[in-house]
Amino acid sequence: MLTVNGAARLVDAPPMTSLASVLRENLALTGTKLVCGEGFCGACLVELDGEAVPACLVPVGLVEGHDVRTIEAVTPRGEPLGAVQRALKDSDAVQCGMCFPGMTISLTAMLRANPDPTADDVRDHLSGNICRCTGYARIVESALAAAAALREIRGPRDRANGAPRDQASRTPRDRASRAPRGPVS
Amino acid sequence: MSTIGSDLPRRDAEDKLRGRTRFAVDRQRHGTLHAAIRRADRAAARIVRIDVTAARSMAGVHAVVSAADAPGRYGIGVADHPLFADGVIRYHGEPLVAVAAETLAQAEAAAAAVVVQTEPLPANLTMDQSLAEGAREIHPDWARYEELVEGGTRAGNIAWEATVVRGDTAAAFARDDVVVVENCFRAGRQNQAPLEPRACTAWLEHDRLVLESSTQNPWAVRNGTARLLGMRPSDVRVIVPPVGGGFGMKFEVSIEPIAAVLARTADRPVKLVLSRPEEMRLALFRENADIWLRSAVTRDGEIVAREAVVLMDCGAYGGEQPFLTTMTAHTLGGNYRLGAVRMISRAVYTNTAPTGAFRACNGTYNTFALERHTDDVCTAIGMDREEFRRRAVLRDGDIGATGQVFEGDVLGPMLDRMRELRGIEPRRPRPGELYGRATVVGTWFIFVGPAAATVNVNPDGTATLVTAGVEIGSGSTMQAIPQLVAESLGIHPRDVVVREADTDAAGFDLGVGGGRTTVSLGAASIAACDDAKAKIAKVAADLLEAAPEDIVIGPGAISVAGVPSRSITLAQVAAHAQTTTGPISGSGSFTGRGTPSMPGCAAGHMIDAIDIPVFAVHDCELAVDPDTGQVRVLAYRVVQDVGRAINPRAIRGQIQGGVVQGLGYALHETVTFDEAGQVAQSGFETYRVPLAGDTVPVDIALFEGAPSLGPLGVKGAGEIPILNVAAAVACAVAEATGRQVDQIPLTPPWVLTLLDGTDQLRHRHITRDWRANVLTPPELLEAAAGIRPCPIPR
Repeated sequence: MLTVNGAARLVDAPPMTSLASVLRENLALTGTKLVCGEGFCGACLVELDGEAVPACLVPVGLVEGHDVRTIEAVTPRGEPLGAVQRALKDSDAVQCGMCFPGMTISLTAMLRANPDPTADDVRDHLSGNICRCTGYARIVESALAAAAALREIRGPRDRANGAPRDQASRTPRDRASRAPRGPVS
Repeated sequence: MSTIGSDLPRRDAEDKLRGRTRFAVDRQRHGTLHAAIRRADRAAARIVRIDVTAARSMAGVHAVVSAADAPGRYGIGVADHPLFADGVIRYHGEPLVAVAAETLAQAEAAAAAVVVQTEPLPANLTMDQSLAEGAREIHPDWARYEELVEGGTRAGNIAWEATVVRGDTAAAFARDDVVVVENCFRAGRQNQAPLEPRACTAWLEHDRLVLESSTQNPWAVRNGTARLLGMRPSDVRVIVPPVGGGFGMKFEVSIEPIAAVLARTADRPVKLVLSRPEEMRLALFRENADIWLRSAVTRDGEIVAREAVVLMDCGAYGGEQPFLTTMTAHTLGGNYRLGAVRMISRAVYTNTAPTGAFRACNGTYNTFALERHTDDVCTAIGMDREEFRRRAVLRDGDIGATGQVFEGDVLGPMLDRMRELRGIEPRRPRPGELYGRATVVGTWFIFVGPAAATVNVNPDGTATLVTAGVEIGSGSTMQAIPQLVAESLGIHPRDVVVREADTDAAGFDLGVGGGRTTVSLGAASIAACDDAKAKIAKVAADLLEAAPEDIVIGPGAISVAGVPSRSITLAQVAAHAQTTTGPISGSGSFTGRGTPSMPGCAAGHMIDAIDIPVFAVHDCELAVDPDTGQVRVLAYRVVQDVGRAINPRAIRGQIQGGVVQGLGYALHETVTFDEAGQVAQSGFETYRVPLAGDTVPVDIALFEGAPSLGPLGVKGAGEIPILNVAAAVACAVAEATGRQVDQIPLTPPWVLTLLDGTDQLRHRHITRDWRANVLTPPELLEAAAGIRPCPIPR
């Protein structure tokens, strides 16, 4: 039994099956892209108890009882795009699109841990996310734009004390998981 | 407001960001079987026995197929490629047997259980080995293969040879007022590495075959699969979901016939997806190439003669390379004014995985070689590099290698634009680093080829665009072409519905690649709109009580000329048409006009002259760390000839992406073979694609106004950004280190080797007497070219 995007799901799969494969094949959640299967490319990132992890390296047997959130639930259908997605869309960053679900999850996690990153912070953070189309420049710009937009939402009080707060994201689910999140290693 | 030239957003971005886009790899039909391929584990061998008895009887297995199930061969120039190895193994990883089973694990287990017994043959892993005296022929039956295109010269391990002979090169080299410069160059393979692997689901429907595939070229997949399966081409339907990157790798038929044979045998849908290790080892790599250039140049910077030999490693089968040999004439011969020229471009068989198209095919390494050679020419005659280029680049009315006449002054003004973009102050390296900078030019040619389009005008005021155009990420199909259609019909781009490519719905198209998509499909779409507009005008004339020739189809309204108040909407016209003339639709098509070349100058070329030249000027500043050999790009600038920018922001995105892909090619993307002939890089750990930390934001200037036969003067913009990058980086590293940079990629160990001092590259398999390299007797080529004198272009 696992919790995927807020719902309990019973999955019939050998325990060593990768979470990425279960999400895609058993649960039809194909927003999680399986590209390298080795944890290098970041296309299969999901949030596991609020932390971004490559689902291709996680055996499904280990996530029993844990909370899995995929790109499909980062901004559920009908809700407006999240700050990171909005910025990526507005800067016309998207090309083939295969890396963007993972990019979104990666950058969203980064901005929770570091709400005011520099361009170098973003580039360093993205060492685990491969994009073959865009040359990254707009992705980096978008991350900085999203960070600025989120700081704006949080208002002047937060900015005054400079403390990172994790109410940064707007969806109820974001607020639900408050564990400190680090960048993907 | 015109939509042309505005930075409109992508219609497909939001779905891609939300993870809702379903690529071919994400789609699944009810009852689908999964496929796995048993591959050769030697580079060259005779097949003694393949026994599939055990595999057939394993749990979940529905079909096991091999060479006997799909006889016949395919290719572009020559039909040399069987679907499965047929008695002989020619590369490590060649498909031997394919299995379809209920689960992927079952298919993989059965594929592994196939008994394969082989007898090794000596493998030619390099072109040097394949061209050596007495080398084993990889295709002993080469002379009996069917030629699909006439005019190619080939023999033994030379799969195809294309030559250019214009003017009396020998006489020019003998002049006593010239300096002769000669260089050898070598470029490695590059993996396209799109993030979506090759993926295809095949099934039968009413005795027809349906293929849902990740391809850039649905019509090529349709025709290639039909040929191999012995079917009528119209009985194969190809549908293409959004493609998760292609970069040329998905331009030809590849895994689709394997899925098709399995589906036909199992009578169930079969899905075949290549694994990442398969993709890394068996991508249709950009070919490695060996190049020799020799030029005779006056002290004033006039290139009186040039000779070139370009060897392209096609791997075990010719594939697209016979076609790509054509490109040398244009990528090496379309930049500078050349008095006389002779060139050979050869595709050479080796016992390695086949190579093929990759963004700016052939152009990346030829531009690298040409620009490094050009810098050596400048040194030899003592002329400033920029000054030389300014004098020597093609101007209005100059001719290219095959005698094609160029229109307009383009590269010269682009060099001026680059000077403005560059500014004066150079970037600073860190203490101890070596600084280098280079400005280089490059030329690409768009082969426009045929395209068809249909536009249906809907009663709600929208239009549905039906073409075989595939969205591979470049934005041509989902961004630029709908903008052209919207502009033509006077509606908003969001009101243009784009039908996914389907060969049952759309007419022929040559495929998404080469920079032709926006040009050819764009032109066909505009022609379809014109056809529809003639019908719209008639219906509107009826409604507005005016003459059809007085009807103006403008943005948001259709009115009578001179009387804007008498107007109706497109929706009203389309609705009225339903009940009077019948629904409105338009069809349109387009193909190249056929640019003339000099008769007799080119032999073995599938295209002697190409319709749309595209130019680029790149500038790179970099720093080399002499202790580590690491090259750090400090600044990168691009001036690109775009004809007319439909969506400038989208073009800038293409340029940034293409430049970074080029930096990977120039600096670290490395393909090597182990002693068994297997590609050593099986994933992203060992095959280093650029990461965010490797990149710099590119400074970009779009150069508009150069002549183009594209719609509204447009030129393809996505292909060319990668063209000059290796040239710019290599020339800058040469300046920084003072060494002869004649090989790419410039990995840190190689840069350290250069700094330590190493011998200049010499190709043993290229003879320094140009005439001794060619298969056809050179006297015949010279006679055909009318030497001397060469005929004047008509």
